[in-house]
Amino acid sequence: MRFRDLAFLVVSNLRRMKLRLALTSLGVVIGTSAIVLMVSLGIGLQANLTAELGDLGAATHITVMGGGGMPGVEFTSLNDEIVDEIAAIEHVEAVLPSVPVYLDKIEYKKYVLYSMPYGVNMEDFAKFGYEIEEGRLPRNDSEILLGAMLPASFSVASEDGMMMGPGSTVPELDLLGRRLEVATSIYPTEQEIEADPNAQPRQNKQKFTVVGILAPSDMMTDQSAYISMDAALDMNDTDRRKVTYEQLIVKADSVDSVTDIEKTIMDRGLYAYSSQSMLESLKSVFLIIQGVLGALGGIAMLVAALGIANTMTMSIYERTREIGIMKAVGASNRQIKRVFLGEAAIIGVLGGIGGLLFSGAGAALANLFVKAMLASQATSTGVASSDTASFFQIPVWLAIFAIVFAAGIGLLSGVLPAVRAANLDPLTALRHE
Amino acid sequence: MASAVEVFGLTREYIMGGEALTVLRGVDLTIPRGEIVCVMGPSGSGKSTLLNIVGGLDRPTSGSVVIEGEDLAGMDDERLATYRRRQVGFVFQSFNLIPTMTARRNVELPLVFAGASPEERAERAAAALASVGLAHRIDHRPTELSGGEQQRVAIARAVVNEPAIMLADEPTGNLDTRTGLEILELMREMNAAGRTLLITTHDRAIAESVADRIITIVDGSIENIEQGGTA
Ligand SMILES: Nc1ncnc2c1ncn2[C@@H]1O[C@H](COP(=O)(O)OP(=O)(O)OP(=O)(O)O)[C@@H](O)[C@H]1O
Ligand SMILES: [Mg+2]
Repeated sequence: MRFRDLAFLVVSNLRRMKLRLALTSLGVVIGTSAIVLMVSLGIGLQANLTAELGDLGAATHITVMGGGGMPGVEFTSLNDEIVDEIAAIEHVEAVLPSVPVYLDKIEYKKYVLYSMPYGVNMEDFAKFGYEIEEGRLPRNDSEILLGAMLPASFSVASEDGMMMGPGSTVPELDLLGRRLEVATSIYPTEQEIEADPNAQPRQNKQKFTVVGILAPSDMMTDQSAYISMDAALDMNDTDRRKVTYEQLIVKADSVDSVTDIEKTIMDRGLYAYSSQSMLESLKSVFLIIQGVLGALGGIAMLVAALGIANTMTMSIYERTREIGIMKAVGASNRQIKRVFLGEAAIIGVLGGIGGLLFSGAGAALANLFVKAMLASQATSTGVASSDTASFFQIPVWLAIFAIVFAAGIGLLSGVLPAVRAANLDPLTALRHE
Repeated sequence: MASAVEVFGLTREYIMGGEALTVLRGVDLTIPRGEIVCVMGPSGSGKSTLLNIVGGLDRPTSGSVVIEGEDLAGMDDERLATYRRRQVGFVFQSFNLIPTMTARRNVELPLVFAGASPEERAERAAAALASVGLAHRIDHRPTELSGGEQQRVAIARAVVNEPAIMLADEPTGNLDTRTGLEILELMREMNAAGRTLLITTHDRAIAESVADRIITIVDGSIENIEQGGTA
């Protein structure tokens, strides 16, 4: 029997039972939809999370901050002792302590910027593999490295020192080789206020030459500037014997060791986070969502398979005499089996296509909803959300898989009825009715 | 000339509720190629059973059935299907057309299972339908045809694959006398084209008008073989 003829027989048989076909396929539609949505959510989340969490830092980076400070727990601040301790943890490749400058403002000609410069050890900084877009790392205490977004983040200061409203942001400045003035305001300590209640904040000012601009990486780095540790400590008037760091960035030797290192640091009473650990904790949440969808899809598919088997059994019963006729004119058992397997498979395929359309529409709707939610969140918090946010993604392979899977379910459900049809005794079948 | 049908010691038993019901008991029958043989006998005597066994729709309990040199005993389902497809054309009392298919599609069905090309199939089906005088009803469904026309479609279907033998189980049973005679005339034409015919009937006049030989079966045994009116 030629494939074309087989297809013709299958299609004309199915045409005779449109309603039953639709109802039976519906089960497959539901099952396929649930499964496609499950997988597409997995793909979308994976893609988005990896993209979004990349903003928190590279996958091998861990950010450490001082810990405790709650009632009953003493605050642990980050000092050289702790830096050495963390550097000694297994799989730690490098530790980057940083000291924020008590910034007043950064000035360049008539432009001002309020992004924090950090004092870092440039040798350590180099180990973290931040890419430099142009220029180089600072080599002395009067050079500065700018994060990727800073050249475009200046505003115009007006006569009275007030910033002009929105729209005053100037276009990207060409700053390489230019000199910026960094001003700090150091507020009097409690002791100083005790000694002189009228003590005023002191100002330090220093000029820095821009020697390098970083390539875009994570959100923090993009919006920071970097100067040498000494320069930062000088600008802050810090007593060299009492240096503490605001945060450390720890570099693990591989993504796999991040979670362990992070745990060791947390156990030490410090606070640490990484894109990796967030990804993991979020993943487990999504795993549950996916599990629920998967179970739903599995059950729906099982019910759908029973539905197909039932429909096929019924239609074969109704067509018993036809099967007898086909056998009398020379159809072999195998040919009869193929006709009915074909019918079952087509029911599956139709359900699969329906499920794909349905889940495609569902995914688009859900994406719109999520985007709208993120947008409203963004306006209320003022934080711009990234514009990706397609949490349900249906790549071509998933579409193909869905249809093949549905066809497979149909085929499988059709096996038993089709074998029964094929093995019917021709005479018994001819006498049927 | 070689025989179309050679049956020796053919028995067929049905086991009913633990008891054996013997429907055919030791039938010997040889039919030369090109002959028209009518099988007569009372109801329940085993006429249809004999026809079905010769056509490969049923299997003997014992005995040998050799059709066109092929021994049907011991053929599996698959080979029996091939045998039916190549050697046999069936015509039934109740026509047995597939109601949802047009005359053309019904006639094409044996060729579909034989894997013929669409062009060849269409051509042969059209020719077969023309040979039974239904060239103009080719796209009609069985419900749109009279009983006699349906039986003509069935005859076209039976001969479309050029079988060596044609088996007709009371082909005129559902038709009035006039139409029945037309159908028999048509069958005789098919026989003239070289096909061996085995026909069961209750109607003595019909048997005598068409048969080379008339076989009478009573209670599963051949009781009498006589020359028909045409011999
Ligand atoms: N599948 C079966 N199971 C049991 N008995 C059967 C079966 N098929 C046929 N028989 C019996 O075999 C006997 C012969 O049946 P068959 O159909 O060959 O008779 P027939 O000569 O064609 O009769 P009719 O003239 O009424 O068509 C009958 O008694 C019938 O009841
Ligand atoms: Mg009979």
